[in-house]
Amino acid sequence: MSKLAVHDLAVRYGKLTALAELSFAVAEGERVFISGPNGAGKSSLLAAIAGSVRAAHGRIEMDGDILSGLSPEAIARRGLSMVPEGRRIFAGLTVQENLMVGTGMRRDRGAIADDIAAMFAAFPILAERARAPAGALSGGQQQMLAIARALMTNPKVILVDEPSLGLAPKVVDEVYDRLTGLQDLRGLTMIIVEQSSARAARVGGRMLLMRGGRIIADGDAAGFAARDLLAEAYFGEPA
Amino acid sequence: MLRQHGIRRRMAATTPLILAVLLLAFVIAVSLTHDRALARMAAETLIRVTLVVGFWIFVGNSGVVSFGHAAFACLGAYVSAWTTLKPAMKATLLPGLPDWLAAAEWPVAAAAVAGGGVAALVALATGAAILRLSGIAASIATFAFLAMVNTIWSNWTPMTGGTSSVVGLERYVTPWAALAWAVVALAVAAAYGASASGLALRATREDEVAAAASGIDRYRHRLLAYTLSAFFCGVGGALTGHFIGVINPDSFYLSLTFLMLAMLVVGGIGSLSGAVAGVMALSLAVELLVRMEKGVTLGVTTFALPPGSQEIIIAVAMILVLIFRPAGLLAGREIMLPARWVGGRADRTTDPTS
Repeated sequence: MSKLAVHDLAVRYGKLTALAELSFAVAEGERVFISGPNGAGKSSLLAAIAGSVRAAHGRIEMDGDILSGLSPEAIARRGLSMVPEGRRIFAGLTVQENLMVGTGMRRDRGAIADDIAAMFAAFPILAERARAPAGALSGGQQQMLAIARALMTNPKVILVDEPSLGLAPKVVDEVYDRLTGLQDLRGLTMIIVEQSSARAARVGGRMLLMRGGRIIADGDAAGFAARDLLAEAYFGEPA
Repeated sequence: MLRQHGIRRRMAATTPLILAVLLLAFVIAVSLTHDRALARMAAETLIRVTLVVGFWIFVGNSGVVSFGHAAFACLGAYVSAWTTLKPAMKATLLPGLPDWLAAAEWPVAAAAVAGGGVAALVALATGAAILRLSGIAASIATFAFLAMVNTIWSNWTPMTGGTSSVVGLERYVTPWAALAWAVVALAVAAAYGASASGLALRATREDEVAAAASGIDRYRHRLLAYTLSAFFCGVGGALTGHFIGVINPDSFYLSLTFLMLAMLVVGGIGSLSGAVAGVMALSLAVELLVRMEKGVTLGVTTFALPPGSQEIIIAVAMILVLIFRPAGLLAGREIMLPARWVGGRADRTTDPTS
């Protein structure tokens, strides 16, 4: 059984169709990139899975349980965590408090201290700045904090929306290093929106190429670079 | 690092303690002067501490400005009047009270708790509707709630005496009685701020989307804070009634709402210390201005401010703070003891056994 399955998902904003009945499934522990031009529906897809945008129709399942229709916080409680686009950290709270926020819903109180220690080990800069207001961190540090915070909810599936947005390439490398390291360590299932297919190919994993609210290609990220599909997705006739 | 977190928590726990000690020192200093006017000012200030600290529990943590908390003070004041006034007095002033209430002669402390409790219950019921709204809509709804309570209280004559005052409340509120409640309010507010719910609520204040993605049910935490907050505003209202001895619905309406908001804004909405600092600063200012409105004699001339200047000057002070120090006097910081006083180092500890 797949970890996460999306069936005939459609999202509309008024008359505008953001997602037009798309389906795909993700296996446990898989890393899936979602790529495509602006307006392809990448962020809408993540938002619909996380519950922050309501689907017009279709079904989303995690471990066979239906997620569609639940509130974002209820979905987070089931073990699906989202790192929102644009590093939406809690700027006025300290780094440590940001991490604690993600733990409010957990039952395993005893393991929280260990997890914070694990996050500080994975992101030493966060340990160094533990008592600083999160708003004072640099862009890359904020992105790492957003990822660490999402992981503090102890998720099984994590959605990351454009982790490279507005960051220097070197910082993006570091963010991906940490992200993939943590994924391997914890056996996470991960879906990442990434504009740069070259980046996705370098990091490695499966890639879904979107355009006009549909998935137009699905395969190994490394294979995409060599194919004409990308050019078609970005420059071709409207799908 | 975890040890560091523990120290941080212990440091945070010193905040209400320091604030309580400062208020205690204030009361002791005032009672040493044996000046009755000063003692009244101190009691009034400490009642406002209870009101504004209660107010802060909701507004400070949720970031949602409420205009409705004076209504909770109104409820608390009337509940306390209902349960403590002499039955003979109630028979003439409030003929519509049910028999059990008309006969009630509760101890004043129990009446204050009941006043807070009723305010909290009303907050729970009305908050269930209001707090589902987003920020500004919720604020406007709290204002509507304030207007509703005022209208009902002004017209429900058999129960409330309508717009005429209810008189004869036992005037038991000394600076010490007010201090006791202020300290309880501080302790509860600090405990709530340090709780998981307090942190979750502050997270929703910072970013609603990210908070939901972290599994936070904003509505539930808001409702808890709103209820707790209303309790202390209800108690503050009861204390106000028993301080002046006379209550009417308009003493818990727009001017109280304005004063509570001004105190929170001036001190700084972002911290408990800010709430207390705002009360102290504005209470002193109000006291000075009231005296100046009465007239200050300098040699042979008497100088007096025109009546009403007090409100205008407070409003100007609030505007100036908003312009030049938008986060308030304390800018969201808490007063706390340095780390080394609570058994730790201020710097980052790398002790692997921690």
